[in-house]
Amino acid sequence: MHKTLGVSLGLAVLLASGGAMAGKDLDAIKAKGHVVCGVPTGTAGFALADSQGKWVGLDVDVCRAVSAAIFGDSEKVKYVPLTAQQRFTALQSGEVDMLSNNTTWTLTRDTALGFDFGAVTYYDGQAFMVSKKLGVKSAKELNGATICVQPGTTTELNLADYFRANKMTFKPVVIEKVEEVRAAFFSGRCDVYTNDSSALYSTRVANVPAGQSPDDYIVLPEIISKEPLAPVMRHGDNQFVDIVRWTQYAMIEAEEYGITSKNVDEMLKSENPAIKRMLGVTPGMGKALGVDEKWAYNIVKLVGNYGESFDRHVGKDSILKIDRGLNRLWSQGGLQYAPPIR
Amino acid sequence: MRNTLAATAASIVAFITSSTAMAGKDLDAIKARGALNCGVGIGTAGFMLADSQGKWRGLSVDVCRAVAAAIFGDAEKVKYAPLTSQQRFTAVQSGEVDIVMGNATWTLTRDTALGLDFTGVYYYDGQSFLVPKTLGVKSARELGGATVCVAPGTTTELNLADYFRANKMTFKPVVIEKVDEIRAAFFAGRCDVYTTDASSLAATRAANVPPPRTFDDFVILPEIISKEPLGPVVRHGDSQFADIVRWALYAMVEAEEHGITSKNVDEMLKSDNPAIKRILGVTPGMGKALGIDERWVYNIVKQVGNYGESFDRNVGKDSPLKIDRGLNRLWSQGGLQYSPPFR
Repeated sequence: MHKTLGVSLGLAVLLASGGAMAGKDLDAIKAKGHVVCGVPTGTAGFALADSQGKWVGLDVDVCRAVSAAIFGDSEKVKYVPLTAQQRFTALQSGEVDMLSNNTTWTLTRDTALGFDFGAVTYYDGQAFMVSKKLGVKSAKELNGATICVQPGTTTELNLADYFRANKMTFKPVVIEKVEEVRAAFFSGRCDVYTNDSSALYSTRVANVPAGQSPDDYIVLPEIISKEPLAPVMRHGDNQFVDIVRWTQYAMIEAEEYGITSKNVDEMLKSENPAIKRMLGVTPGMGKALGVDEKWAYNIVKLVGNYGESFDRHVGKDSILKIDRGLNRLWSQGGLQYAPPIR
Repeated sequence: MRNTLAATAASIVAFITSSTAMAGKDLDAIKARGALNCGVGIGTAGFMLADSQGKWRGLSVDVCRAVAAAIFGDAEKVKYAPLTSQQRFTAVQSGEVDIVMGNATWTLTRDTALGLDFTGVYYYDGQSFLVPKTLGVKSARELGGATVCVAPGTTTELNLADYFRANKMTFKPVVIEKVDEIRAAFFAGRCDVYTTDASSLAATRAANVPPPRTFDDFVILPEIISKEPLGPVVRHGDSQFADIVRWALYAMVEAEEHGITSKNVDEMLKSDNPAIKRILGVTPGMGKALGIDERWVYNIVKQVGNYGESFDRNVGKDSPLKIDRGLNRLWSQGGLQYSPPFR
């Protein structure tokens, strides 16, 4: 137990109102009536426009949740599909308010580009896909394997490091184009295909050739590199950055407390002080963020908690069937952890 | 593998960095002063305590030392200001200190309405249970029916009730207001269990066990039942300084992950591993991105050590507290300590 804030609150109010930069992006978003969200051009499970043109995915849910927190309506979002080359320029120029674009949080991007990253929405990282026939359950059993990899990438370096660290050897099959790497793997030219875990799962369902099924392939459990994906905002409006950051944390915290889109109305009657605070039954959190006290209620009601969003788009209820792995809650062996909402 | 930023981004960057009026104002003041003003707690063994020569030591103190090493190349360019829990946020808001390392829990209210930023988590604390070894208990799940000493009206008391209810166990509370009296009641055997934050339990076990019993007669159970993430606190308004504080802590974590220690860091300068070359500034870029010397991480690790070294020395196995790494292990070893990549 640590002491909660005391006298300093008075000064805080003064600072918040006196900070010239506070809220300028938020004010513009409110005036427009929607959040402009930069998303990938199309990545199954993360961001994809369906046949009606409606965007769905784990990245899309982050935008929807921010909209729910600000407007009480998860659909006040304008989606702008951006390539990896376009995305940072679009954010810096103000064309979009935020990116939810499978962007890895790195030092350079967090500093010199003038950006802030929100909380990690998906801990990605390099993994290995093999044919089930190989009879391998762990990357530690890949000694001597032939491995398909793209040249000149961190992927190639991580691969060499991992095998060296585990005193194993491998034969690289280096192919530049992603379509050709996949074709080489599925035709059996290599035992293993290595890339980011999310990309492997996506390849498994979307690119498996006719006559074979996704079930003929498995992604091994080891994650050998760090690719933490997080929303990105410009420097200059701490209030908006805070709203995006705590929106993600609210989804995680809701899962931790067992609050779902289905039971959130019942949860309003909970006597648990933490749940009462989060859902705004006990006011304070909304005021601190400068949004409606029902912000977290609206997020969970309209979008769901983190686990619901994960399962629906990339996890067990989706075609990708990605294991929660590192994205389990901290209390269940994963890395997803929200600071307390109080 | 993801594409790195394109040339277009780089040119806009230069523009944004130079045109943002607020960037670097706190950093400029720190450089002009020649020292980092670091607010610490009044004194918590292992985290921040002045020794008999008046030299501040501890895990929290090491984060300030790391920031000074990053900015000045010298971990000792720090002026410490002891602050109470009541004073600490006001002191950083007013500019009296640049950073607070006062074992403050990162919460929503503090992160938002106070105009402050938490830049990471240097210690995942949380509520746990201390028991005498004679109780013969290895897990909190075995505490059904126990008598538990706890302070009243705190989140600690609520968490205790929640945990037992969730695990379908009962307990008898012994509620005592003053911390010295709770400890006395526990050591006198008035309760089987003492519950508060794990770091406090470790300090109690190291400093307050009445003879003839010793440290080794008591054990902290492995379960952590609440979240008290302790982070460095800076004020809004200078993103560059906030970034330096954020990445100074990550540098300690990343160094541990790559096996770079205060002892081998000079040899590591010769490593062929591209990640290590980037981290240590052999391949330049990271220092420039932060606006500091390219040898910033080298200086942190050489003078302060990596996260594991600091943890072990101050609160872990080489310290009187002997706190288990637990949640503070690296992510690759089952813990929560994770640094975004240095690139």
